[in-house]
Amino acid sequence: MLEIKNLHATVGGKEILKGIDLTVRDGEMHALMGLNGAGKSTLSNVLVGHPAYTVTEGSVTFNGKDLLAMSPDERSHEGLFLSFQQPVEIPGVSMVNFMRAALNAKRKYQGLEPLDAGSFLKLMREKRKIVELDNKLMSRSVNEGFSGGERKRNEIFQMAMLEPTMCILDETDSGLDVDALRIVAEGFNKLRTPQTSAIVITHYQRLLDYLKPDIVHVLIDGRIVKTGGPELAAEIEERGFDWLR
Amino acid sequence: MKGIDQYIEFFRSERQRIDAGSQAVMNAQREAAAEALQRLGFPTQKVERYKYTDVAAAFAPNYGISLAAASAPQLEEALISRYGTLARVEDDALTALNTMLAQELIVVHAAAGEHREHPVQITNTLRATAPLMQNRRLLIIAEAGADVQVILGDRAEAQQDFLTTQVTEVFVGEGARVALYDIEDTHDRCHRFHQVFAQVAAGGHLTHTAFTLASGVSRNQTDVQLVGEGADVQLLGCAILNGQQHVDNNTLIDHRAPGCTSRELYKYVVDQQATGAFAGRVLVRQEAQQTDSVERNANLVCTDQARMWTQPMLEIYADDVKCSHGSTVGQLNEAALFYMRQRGISESEARMLLKQAFASEVLHEIPLEALRQRLHMQVEKRFRSCDDCKLCKKE
Repeated sequence: MLEIKNLHATVGGKEILKGIDLTVRDGEMHALMGLNGAGKSTLSNVLVGHPAYTVTEGSVTFNGKDLLAMSPDERSHEGLFLSFQQPVEIPGVSMVNFMRAALNAKRKYQGLEPLDAGSFLKLMREKRKIVELDNKLMSRSVNEGFSGGERKRNEIFQMAMLEPTMCILDETDSGLDVDALRIVAEGFNKLRTPQTSAIVITHYQRLLDYLKPDIVHVLIDGRIVKTGGPELAAEIEERGFDWLR
Repeated sequence: MKGIDQYIEFFRSERQRIDAGSQAVMNAQREAAAEALQRLGFPTQKVERYKYTDVAAAFAPNYGISLAAASAPQLEEALISRYGTLARVEDDALTALNTMLAQELIVVHAAAGEHREHPVQITNTLRATAPLMQNRRLLIIAEAGADVQVILGDRAEAQQDFLTTQVTEVFVGEGARVALYDIEDTHDRCHRFHQVFAQVAAGGHLTHTAFTLASGVSRNQTDVQLVGEGADVQLLGCAILNGQQHVDNNTLIDHRAPGCTSRELYKYVVDQQATGAFAGRVLVRQEAQQTDSVERNANLVCTDQARMWTQPMLEIYADDVKCSHGSTVGQLNEAALFYMRQRGISESEARMLLKQAFASEVLHEIPLEALRQRLHMQVEKRFRSCDDCKLCKKE
């Protein structure tokens, strides 16, 4: 479903991605590991169309369509979702209004009528439970006053609402304690369908113990230098990255 | 005729008709007003409080004035004896011009201890087939312990050139509460000059909200004197501007007594080629010990051509006070914008939501639920282009 070919990208004129080739088929979960600065977050930002990043070479097709030609919101409607490493606060925009705008935009794209208020709130209630997110957070502004763990759970909650087919989890484990990590990971597992694909970016084995990726890649200096099964993650946990350079 | 001359000549030639349709107390002050106007002339932009708005240009065109023909029933002398005591013609040309020409006087009076449950709503709708000038007066008196809310609405229904001047005097008695909401929703061919002069006695509370949803050129001046111990004022403002619009809020909070508090929050969203101006002076006199004052002005400037002038001023002559003032000018948060787009919200919708969120801080301060909700809707409607506005289609 997602096919990345020879992808080069720059940010602020500096080349970060230096030729990425990666294919993620329906239902597959790929883990992307590597040190800080290797290009993991750049890859996720490029995939969702962050305007600060420039693709200089290569192509990305998503379900047969040219992903790089789409606006960020179109990519979202097509089923691409990024769980942000640092979810931003949006003061003054309530979770309810934010979620309603997002969901109804997607429904409009799909040719569906906006959800009525009752059904929408019911859906919010159901999906909230998956990540044990408190109802009182829903009347607050997006991520404002949320703890680190609540922010990450909020990302998974939004994922549950929008039902994407391709999820990118960018260091979802960073800043989480053991309990929060379990809730987030289990929440994500509940949402997965046989068709849901994912790219999980992480430094650590811990998150992967829960998510059980099919394929593990190691990214060093803008290139994928090694690809293997789950055992590769375990090996990195033990030996670090130096032996792959 | 040019400048002030056309107004003074009009006054001289129509004096009888102007007087016939007015209160005696208004007529008694016209001559002094005309003399003051002659002496002062229109303020140029070299005059500090008028530096952001070109008054002479606004008054240069030839507007028609429709005079009230009928003789007005005279109001009780005691009720309106305070007319013109706060709005002094000697110092200000616009106040003088209004005092010279105004016929319409609305008085809102709350007797001592009277609590009015429902707000008094005054809506001015401009309708004309030729350029029109209107001069209005409003007198709000809340005697000791009274509680009154007034909602002023300014609307324009005709696509026509309008010029309005309004002078409002507000007397807040001891321990009384007055809330004044001034909501302008006109269009870009309207020029509006509104001056509010208020006095708050000991333990009294005044809230004034200037909400500019749409306008052409607007200058709102709000002068508040805190004259009794423990008096309190809250000034709120929100202006939404695009096109060539211009909104200038100029405020003065004069702390003349000890232990008074003042809060001031003005927010602007300035888009396209619009210009906004805010100048707020807080004066803490030597006798005003234990003053507690916060002044804040925050502005979103959305394009390279949009302009915002901001000038928070704090002048302190007492030594035991707690005061702060500040202002910010910025753009929409790009990280928030992208976060929303990743969730499928279009760029225009995301921008609209962020602008609305910015303005909502002022709305949250409005305790009248029905008014707050209505303004929420009007703000949303204002930020949306007409094409995809759901609200219009419902109406």
